[in-house]
Amino acid sequence: MGLFTELKDSISRATDRLFSEQEPKRIGIYGPPNAGKTTLANRIARDWTGDAVGAESHVPHETRRARRKENVEIERDGKTVTIDIVDTPGVTTKVDYEEFTDEMDEEDAIRRSREATEGVAEAMHWLREDVDGVIYVLDSAEDPITQVNTMLIGIVESRDLPVLIFANKTDLEESSVKRIEDAFPQHKTIPLSAKEGDNMDEVYDNIAEYFG
Amino acid sequence: MPHQCTNCGRTFADGSKEMLSGCPDCGGNKFQFAPTTAAAAESSGGAGADGSGSVDTASDSADASSSEPDNVATRAAETVRDWVSADSADDSSPEAAEQPLSAGSTAARESDRPWPASDDIDSGDSEPPSDGEFEEWPETARRPEDRSGSPTESTGKGSDEQSHSRNPSDRPSSGPTATMADDENSAQADARSEVVPSDDLPTHAEHSDKGGAEHDGDAGSVAGQHSEAETGAGVDSDDADRPPEHGRVVSEPSGQRPSIEDLRAELNEQFESIKIVRPGQYELNLMELYNRDEYIISLQEDGRYVIDVPESWHDDEDD
Repeated sequence: MGLFTELKDSISRATDRLFSEQEPKRIGIYGPPNAGKTTLANRIARDWTGDAVGAESHVPHETRRARRKENVEIERDGKTVTIDIVDTPGVTTKVDYEEFTDEMDEEDAIRRSREATEGVAEAMHWLREDVDGVIYVLDSAEDPITQVNTMLIGIVESRDLPVLIFANKTDLEESSVKRIEDAFPQHKTIPLSAKEGDNMDEVYDNIAEYFG
Repeated sequence: MPHQCTNCGRTFADGSKEMLSGCPDCGGNKFQFAPTTAAAAESSGGAGADGSGSVDTASDSADASSSEPDNVATRAAETVRDWVSADSADDSSPEAAEQPLSAGSTAARESDRPWPASDDIDSGDSEPPSDGEFEEWPETARRPEDRSGSPTESTGKGSDEQSHSRNPSDRPSSGPTATMADDENSAQADARSEVVPSDDLPTHAEHSDKGGAEHDGDAGSVAGQHSEAETGAGVDSDDADRPPEHGRVVSEPSGQRPSIEDLRAELNEQFESIKIVRPGQYELNLMELYNRDEYIISLQEDGRYVIDVPESWHDDEDD
């Protein structure tokens, strides 16, 4: 009997998920190149699914295709929030292979550059079509007031998408969370170090709250 | 007698500056370009060449240029070619090489007459010595005048050696659009004697398109590397260097150069979302990328790209 009940519950849960009016929210992780988007995506995915999302690198534009991790279930206070996270290529207005020639030969650098450009196009397309919320990741050691940041956050605002700003890399000495808060006072800024795993509790609290 | 006062009928040689201050006889300020029957007989369409009377020789010449028959350009081109070939290989057309010197009186080949004509005008602004010979000159002599707007392009670089044919030093090569009759003459002279600033060549090319393809070809042979540079630049890049508005390009097909500019502008519009500076270097217009239905999913090495056009799929499904 207990078995039957369990089975029933299980079916019911599956049905709920299948037909629930609320599909898992698809949360796009956006930001300029090298802000730590993939590191964050991997941190979230590892914490809740055990898998990673993609390779991380200190060389910009490591992520050149959007990658999605589906059904990431985040539990907060006994409540479960299921999201799909989309790790997107870093968005920029200029891609130059010469940035990479120190790290690789010219041919590879050019290919990387080309793929990165395609990645930006894809990221912008996802932003338009496929995301329900945005985590905007910034390197808190860098000046947040850039054309790309202003434009992207403007686009997100124009679409009325829920957005959280993550001030990443707080482990760096030059990090300044306040600089980011001041730049985008209209949005909630959460400091973290995705690499070190610092302040991840607050990160998940806010994800659950904003995107649950 | 290219110009004639419409009031008293006094005629003026082409390039005369007397008429600039009005007809010295009657004070009239309306003149007509007066092709004679012989000019018409020349069948170079001289009929259309009446400058519709104007005190302003610049506009006069503009009229002339617009109404100038192709034959004239062709003949002028031939003349230039002859000179050049005479310069490089005298045997090709020796008489053409000599022609300029004896031009005024000798009148050898018809095709050569137009050019010498200006010599005579140089020497005397009054009536042409021999009507019979000069009848065709007005229009042909206009050709250089016409070009004076875009100074001296046709002769190209090979022309300093042509100075035997003309006396270039007596006038500055500048003085584009013949504002004075004398300057017209100098421009004419310069057209055959001065070295062309390469910047000026393109305009000529546009002019010559009007004259005919063969003229263009002549310019190529005359101006040698100049014209090569010109076409190279025109086809490959740097249209920006060219001053397309320079000179009197009327309405005729301006050749490939402007159309390449147009094309480039068109391409810029079409590719405004991603600009390929060169392979590996890109500039992106984020708003444009965001706003577009389709998006680029693959950039090819050769500058082509593959796009995803979701809307068309939706349409299919909807149907």
